[in-house]
Amino acid sequence: MSAVIETLGLRKVFGDHVAIESLDLNIERGDVFGLLGPNGAGKTTTIRMLTTLLAPSGGAARVCGFDVATQPSEVRRRIGYVMQTVAYRGLLTGRECVEIEAALYHLPRRDIPLRAEVVLEAVGMLPHADRRWTTYSGGMKKRLDLACGLLHWPEVLVLDEPSLGLDVQSRHNVWGYIRDRHVGGATVLLATNYLDEADRLCNKVAIIDRGSVVVQGSPSELKRAVGAEVVQVSTGEPERLRRAIEAERWVKKIIAGEHGDLHVYVEDASIALPAVMRLGLEHGINLKRMTYSQPSLDDVFLLHTGRELREVGAAS
Amino acid sequence: MTIEEVAQEERAPVDRAGTEGGDARGRWAQEVMALARRWWIELLRERLNLVFSILQPAIWLVFFGAGVERAIDAEVIGTDDYIGFMLAGVVTFTIVGNGISGAMPLLWDKETGYLDRLMSMPIARSSVIVSRFVFQVAQQTVQILLVVVVAFALGVRIATGPLGLAVILLTAALLTMSVTAAFSALAYAVPQHGTFFAVAGFVTLPLLFMSSAFVPLEAMPLWMEVVARVNPLTYAIEAMRTLVLDGWEARVATSLALLTLAGAACLALGTWQFRKQTGDRTQE
Ligand SMILES: Nc1ncnc2c1ncn2[C@@H]1O[C@H](COP(=O)(O)OP(=O)(O)OP(=O)(O)O)[C@@H](O)[C@H]1O
Ligand SMILES: [Mg+2]
Repeated sequence: MSAVIETLGLRKVFGDHVAIESLDLNIERGDVFGLLGPNGAGKTTTIRMLTTLLAPSGGAARVCGFDVATQPSEVRRRIGYVMQTVAYRGLLTGRECVEIEAALYHLPRRDIPLRAEVVLEAVGMLPHADRRWTTYSGGMKKRLDLACGLLHWPEVLVLDEPSLGLDVQSRHNVWGYIRDRHVGGATVLLATNYLDEADRLCNKVAIIDRGSVVVQGSPSELKRAVGAEVVQVSTGEPERLRRAIEAERWVKKIIAGEHGDLHVYVEDASIALPAVMRLGLEHGINLKRMTYSQPSLDDVFLLHTGRELREVGAAS
Repeated sequence: MTIEEVAQEERAPVDRAGTEGGDARGRWAQEVMALARRWWIELLRERLNLVFSILQPAIWLVFFGAGVERAIDAEVIGTDDYIGFMLAGVVTFTIVGNGISGAMPLLWDKETGYLDRLMSMPIARSSVIVSRFVFQVAQQTVQILLVVVVAFALGVRIATGPLGLAVILLTAALLTMSVTAAFSALAYAVPQHGTFFAVAGFVTLPLLFMSSAFVPLEAMPLWMEVVARVNPLTYAIEAMRTLVLDGWEARVATSLALLTLAGAACLALGTWQFRKQTGDRTQE
């Protein structure tokens, strides 16, 4: 009922390539919802359908109760969309870009100068407002795009990789800003490759891979489902090590990662670590490295797809 | 003031912009002016582009006047005022040239992705093309006034006076509507800017030579005259030439009416292409 973004069997086919298989999402008012997935998973395609830039090939999507296919202008009025790639803005200054877009959102003329300052300030671009766009650095251009997406206080903020290309400082500022907007009542949909970003910001995530949702829920829920903790062992003989430890009572699950790593999901790493070491010694298996961690969203992805998100991302 | 305070203060701007009083025309005007402002700023910052595009038609006129006049038979063109005869041709030449260079920002927006940003905003689909039209008309009015001043210096007197000049500007604006819309449609239809320039280059010269820009209709071979008579450029040229050389005549009104029709048709075509070709975006 309070769903702000709702999709049912949403589907997109490019020629004979199925980019989005069938997507069911339910994003509620006030959610900061993360679309997480490797390159080519279909995040941008999903977002472009929700922002009315791509016509769905099947299924339906509603934003703020309006159908993206039949009521696109109602949808456009309510969203602020920040694209994955920065938009080229030619010879204009930052302030001019923002003011022109403010007019395109039909803000009353007398409110425009103040509004422009407020959004520029929010992303830390006010000091650079009167410089030409062409003189901005990549991160500054991205922040300007972000400012433009906020102009009309959208009910729904749609961010495609908001921190791509930003330095640590700016990333933190942008995150802070997204959190503020969230507190301010906006619903945020963000697509990202960065697990830590999703983990920090989102109260819900959907992990998508090859055009379908693999799993969705809150980050902590998903991580709990992985198991309590993960011991990552690096060895030259992962198969022998697996056989040596898989029967142990404390092992919940073992998944082979790349480069001969084993991810051992256990209840309690403080017990498992010495045990793995002991079993390795007993079987004469050379252990190169051993670390343990709280499960991350990467582990969630690995658990559900058998592949590591970072590896998939780096490979394509 | 923080962003949240401002947000509190201006409650739900969305509802205000969206549902309150169907002032759709006011919103549309605001969009067109905002986009036109963007084109203006860019033009003003490209000094060389500005200087050359403003001066070019005047230079053409001088070139034709000084260079070609002697080679022309006054019998053929029906007047011994060759520069006056060429004035309409040069203005038309300029409009077509502006049509091509004027579609470039649209090609850019399409290729750099800014068009996507625009399309995600609640703007009418016609605003982009219409803003180009408004911008081009303003730009070419300056160009035409300059060309007329140069022609005046070379001894041309417009037969219909200042009011005639106003009607010439109106005629030019009507032709610009066709040309801008047609080249915008082409810009959106092509997959890449290379195709745009290939097609534009291919059609432009025939379009100009198959009009009465350089040769009066009566002096053309029959087949050429037939083509020229369905070419909208011819109507604009005939109207402007009559106003310069002959005075107020009924055929000016006929030409203007036909130009208006052609303009409306091209604008419809342009908007349709725009919707169809800007990705497979959702339609309005
Ligand atoms: N216009 C298009 N024509 C054909 N195929 C497309 C088009 N747009 C996207 N695709 C394909 O759809 C799939 C999903 O692409 P999409 O851009 O949505 O990925 P993504 O999840 O945003 O990836 P990234 O992390 O790299 O941004 C890819 O396989 C891509 O090649
Ligand atoms: Mg993407």
